[in-house]
Amino acid sequence: MSRRNDTGRQPGRRQVIALAAMAGLGLSVAAVAPARAAGTVNLLETGSSLLYPLFNLWVPGYTKANPHVRITTQSTGSGTGISEAISGVAQIGASDAYLSDALMKMHPGMLNIPLAISSQMINYNLPGLNGKHLKFSGPVLAGIYSGKITKWNDPAIAKLNPGVKLPDHDIITVHRTDGSGDTFIFSQYLSFSTPAWQNSTGYGTTVSWPAAPGAIGAEGNPGMVNAIKTNPYSIAYIGVSFKQAIVENKLGEALLENKAGKFVPLTVANVQAAANAKSAATPKDERISLVFAPGADSYPIINYEYAIVKNKQPNATTAAEMRKFFTWAISPKGGNAPHFMAAVSFVPLPASVVKLSAAQIAEIK
Amino acid sequence: MSFRRLLALFAGVLPASLVAVILFLAIYSWPAVRFNGLGFVARTTWNLGNTYGDPIVRNGVAQLPGAQYGILFLIVGTLLSTLIALLLAVPTGVGAAIFLAEAVPGRLRLWLSFLVELLAAVPSVVFGLWGYAVLIPLLGQHVFPVLGRLLGWIPIFAPPYGSGYGLLTAGIVLSLMIVPLIAATLRDAILAEPMVVREAAAALGATRFETVWKVVLPGVRKILIGVTILAMGRALGETMAVLMVSGNALNYLPGNIYSPISTMAAFIVSQLDSALQDPTGLAVRSLAEVALVLSVISVGVNAMARLVLYRAGLRGARV
Repeated sequence: MSRRNDTGRQPGRRQVIALAAMAGLGLSVAAVAPARAAGTVNLLETGSSLLYPLFNLWVPGYTKANPHVRITTQSTGSGTGISEAISGVAQIGASDAYLSDALMKMHPGMLNIPLAISSQMINYNLPGLNGKHLKFSGPVLAGIYSGKITKWNDPAIAKLNPGVKLPDHDIITVHRTDGSGDTFIFSQYLSFSTPAWQNSTGYGTTVSWPAAPGAIGAEGNPGMVNAIKTNPYSIAYIGVSFKQAIVENKLGEALLENKAGKFVPLTVANVQAAANAKSAATPKDERISLVFAPGADSYPIINYEYAIVKNKQPNATTAAEMRKFFTWAISPKGGNAPHFMAAVSFVPLPASVVKLSAAQIAEIK
Repeated sequence: MSFRRLLALFAGVLPASLVAVILFLAIYSWPAVRFNGLGFVARTTWNLGNTYGDPIVRNGVAQLPGAQYGILFLIVGTLLSTLIALLLAVPTGVGAAIFLAEAVPGRLRLWLSFLVELLAAVPSVVFGLWGYAVLIPLLGQHVFPVLGRLLGWIPIFAPPYGSGYGLLTAGIVLSLMIVPLIAATLRDAILAEPMVVREAAAALGATRFETVWKVVLPGVRKILIGVTILAMGRALGETMAVLMVSGNALNYLPGNIYSPISTMAAFIVSQLDSALQDPTGLAVRSLAEVALVLSVISVGVNAMARLVLYRAGLRGARV
């Protein structure tokens, strides 16, 4: 009898290992399988790190009443949210920015559905001064981020903050490296308030940051918080849903100059004032910037938090579950309820915008 | 199909896939190559243009208004971080190799060598996370200021110290990743040096140190050069660990050794999502051009290393 037959009859050590490995693979496949169990609908949400904390509150709240829906959330940045919603990898792309005209022309089936109103803080880590709310204007921030204002005690900053003893220290600017809706609204504030910034850099989910010496890039809002926490003399723009982290780490939060020339703190009332001033102009496709709203009390950097969604879903069941979830999310009794909004310092959608969003949600087929 | 032909086919897949990848990159990035021209490697601007503006067509290439791409800062960041990694890793690797081959008794040598090789098996993202959590605060808050006080008279060591993210940190993390490669290869080479040359040196009255320094090391010189170039290839292409500790500098050249930088490999990862926001696709194709430049440099470096190792007679060198 040949050797080959021998090994065929008695499995050798290698075969045993191979069998064990295959069994292991089989087990892991089996572990994945229940996700496809009949009746369960899987939705993947990815994108904005500003919206992520809210989704993490929404999902358990929603799926408790709707156990047949499984929603996975990921914090990857608005840029990823937009591109994965377009490619269809994710059903829900979370974004602080709406799609550009050119992208809409390329992908006419994309919907930009506001889910809530958010805002953005300007935070800093200035030893000894974090308890004090420093004042900043758009032009001064543009000067800092374009590397023209490099020291904390620069006359431009001192002029806005009379009586504050500012340190003679280099400013470390922190910006996002991932495609980010926070970059979008921050660069809109700079663009709308400072013509020089508008002409040189403009706005977008990613902008070509002018060379500011010592500038560092960070990934996501958590990365931004960590960057200013670990770097004294740094400044950053951070989504309001991270306010808790800013307070816990005793970092500074600035007052910002609005369109009326007033320096206002980020409060619910001031965000509401800005929303009231601009939301009436929201068009049917709801792509509009709320940044730099008129009004003495308006906080200047606020925005709609968008779900970027394809109007054609692969099957009717998925589409129906998405409509149901979004309808719940924008409802004042559901996702826009005060306890959800307060937890992340968001503001609910005005009634007129809820109507517009509902009309867009109905288009998901 | 005969067995021989089948084997030839399988074997042919490997070189063909290398050619295919480079060819794909070249074809895919062609619009960007035309748009960017030679200035691509000489400019320090990575600017997608106005992503919320309307695309325009100029010279047959659709583009966003204001788009301009140049990667000099990436090339400089990549080369400098690799250089620092080699400056740190080569002496360490040579020292470790000599120690393992000459100074440690048999059984202990086996264990220590094993440990060195295990270090090479640690995934790069683990080095990155360690660098992020441990190295950055340590260097940024404690080591850099001391370094600046001691060596501040050399311009590149002078302040500002920045944040701990940057060139030196990236270089240190990279060096940890390539030391095992250098140490393990060199140890094997030193052990393979014939005993007779050591005995001859000892017979001439050379001390142990002199034997190693003047007889053994010159014998493995070519292997050291070869493995150094191989390590350089690895450092040039390392992505994840560098991404996590480099500070991801955009559009400026490092001013000193503490400056944030970015490398070509890390930049491709960090900018892909942003590039997808460009409806003309020019940004993604420009990233492909970065990949093309990186591939050409890396393949070139590796080919050079293999040539040196081959000449040195170490054909089966570990990689």
